[in-house]
Amino acid sequence: METLRIERLRKSFGGLMAIKDLSFHVDQGEILGLIGPNGAGKSTVFNLIMGSFRPDYGRILFKSQDITGWPTYRVVNQGLARVFQIARYFPHKTIYENVEISAIPNEIFQRAENTETKTITVCKRTGLCLEENCQGGNGCLCRAQWPGMLPQGGLRRLEIARAIGTEPELLLLDEPFAGLSPQEVDEISQLISDLRSEGQTIIVVDHNMRGVMGLVDRVVVLCFGEKLAEGTPDEIVRNPHVQEAYLAGGGV
Amino acid sequence: MSPRTFKLILLALTMITLGLIGPYLPPKWATTVTFAQLFAIYAIGWDVLSGMTGQISFGHIFFVGVSGYTTGLLNMYLQWPLWVTIPSGMILAMLMGLLFSVPALRLKGPYFSLVTLILPLAAARLVIILGDWTGGELGKFGATPLCPIQQFVFDFRLNQLCNYYIIWGVLALLAVGLIWLASTRIGKILEAIRENEEAVEAAGINPAKYKIFAFAVSALVVGFGGALSVHLNEGVFFNALLSLTASTEMIVASVIGGMGTILGALWGGLLIRIGEQGMRDLAHLSGFTDLEKWATFFFFALLLVFLFVARLGLLPLIANLFRRRAAVRKES
Repeated sequence: METLRIERLRKSFGGLMAIKDLSFHVDQGEILGLIGPNGAGKSTVFNLIMGSFRPDYGRILFKSQDITGWPTYRVVNQGLARVFQIARYFPHKTIYENVEISAIPNEIFQRAENTETKTITVCKRTGLCLEENCQGGNGCLCRAQWPGMLPQGGLRRLEIARAIGTEPELLLLDEPFAGLSPQEVDEISQLISDLRSEGQTIIVVDHNMRGVMGLVDRVVVLCFGEKLAEGTPDEIVRNPHVQEAYLAGGGV
Repeated sequence: MSPRTFKLILLALTMITLGLIGPYLPPKWATTVTFAQLFAIYAIGWDVLSGMTGQISFGHIFFVGVSGYTTGLLNMYLQWPLWVTIPSGMILAMLMGLLFSVPALRLKGPYFSLVTLILPLAAARLVIILGDWTGGELGKFGATPLCPIQQFVFDFRLNQLCNYYIIWGVLALLAVGLIWLASTRIGKILEAIRENEEAVEAAGINPAKYKIFAFAVSALVVGFGGALSVHLNEGVFFNALLSLTASTEMIVASVIGGMGTILGALWGGLLIRIGEQGMRDLAHLSGFTDLEKWATFFFFALLLVFLFVARLGLLPLIANLFRRRAAVRKES
């Protein structure tokens, strides 16, 4: 079943066509890789989906609902969440409180529901809290730690936790491995495949093909805002157009 | 101890102290502290919007004016009783808050602040244009006194203490209410907006909705104070209701006490009004009449020095001391 469908999306900034008639879709439960050299328009696609920008032309359908041009918070409430490459967090709130904001519904006067269990579950699942010291809820490390104490990999986990806290049906990961040590790359990679095995639908953006090839079911290659190729990782690696676009810059 | 419990304990100590000293204050000081408590209401009202969400309003005195002139004029011209006019003033202030928050909050940072600054300027013009009605710059005397006892017996001291405790009670109620609000998920979101608005939106929450809510609550609280001030002064006076100095002093109060903490703003409000008068008295006691003119200047210079020492304000300073002591105790 189709979760997300992008139809003939077009966006230009001044005279520059950043996205040219881009169409692709994501099926439920799959991991789609969106790759391309630097400046290909990958992050712009995410910005268009999440409502940061409005497309000039084209439609974005999520679960058959047209969400083109919706403000970000509505897109998120519809079931989409984005993990930013540079973590966007609340520096003066604890890690727990950072995740809690995602678990709170967008209703001022609704009766309070229990956000605590949900927040702790998300913290454990992303490895921000360890199971052993987190039994009673109050002993959790994430309640006594601030984001400033986290290493790069931890911040990426926090960013993923804040996204999962909104209970998304489709998760957009923007360069999840950028700036991480090899060990952290393995850990985050493990976390992503765990999420996939739990049935999470994911789009991963990366400029580095090697990082995502083992993770994704299907790949869409972008080059200068246009779709260059689409297929399984094997097909993509063998595709001469992709090799040309990438090998010219020494990517693969 | 949760931050809420910590704040409520300190609030209780503050309010009990104020409650106990009331009868022992000399008449001049009883009036000073009454107005200090009134100003603390403005300060905590400002803090809900600007301190908590980081949308700095320069013109909150506008809501004092809207509510004050509403209650005063309804009371003086239509002879409506206080318990009708005060809520009318508050509700109108809140509606004004809602009305102006929608376009104002589309603006960010200094642009938002500038728009809020224009509101009291425009209102001041209007009051002067309608001077025949409002009394203009001179003001208009004749509103029902705040203390109901005064209608039966006239005893200066009794009346003074009655006013003192009415304002005291309202301040205590509003402070408890706002500290509670700050601890709910609404408060958490308002603080999150100050820290990173984009991250709030990415969490599926509409920041505009929460900011408008904060704006309305803030206008309501400040409007309550403004309405009380009219009946405390027994009339509508331009300098009490639309003073830009008071508008900026609300910001100073909150910064001195600790922005976005409610209790800090309450302390800051009390401190500014009491400190100013205290400095003047000290100067007077010193015997140099010239010094009295300088008192307010020295007071603000002292506040400036304080801010260099404790950038985050009084309450965070105290909270940090407690935290450090608790940490040391844990280790030993």
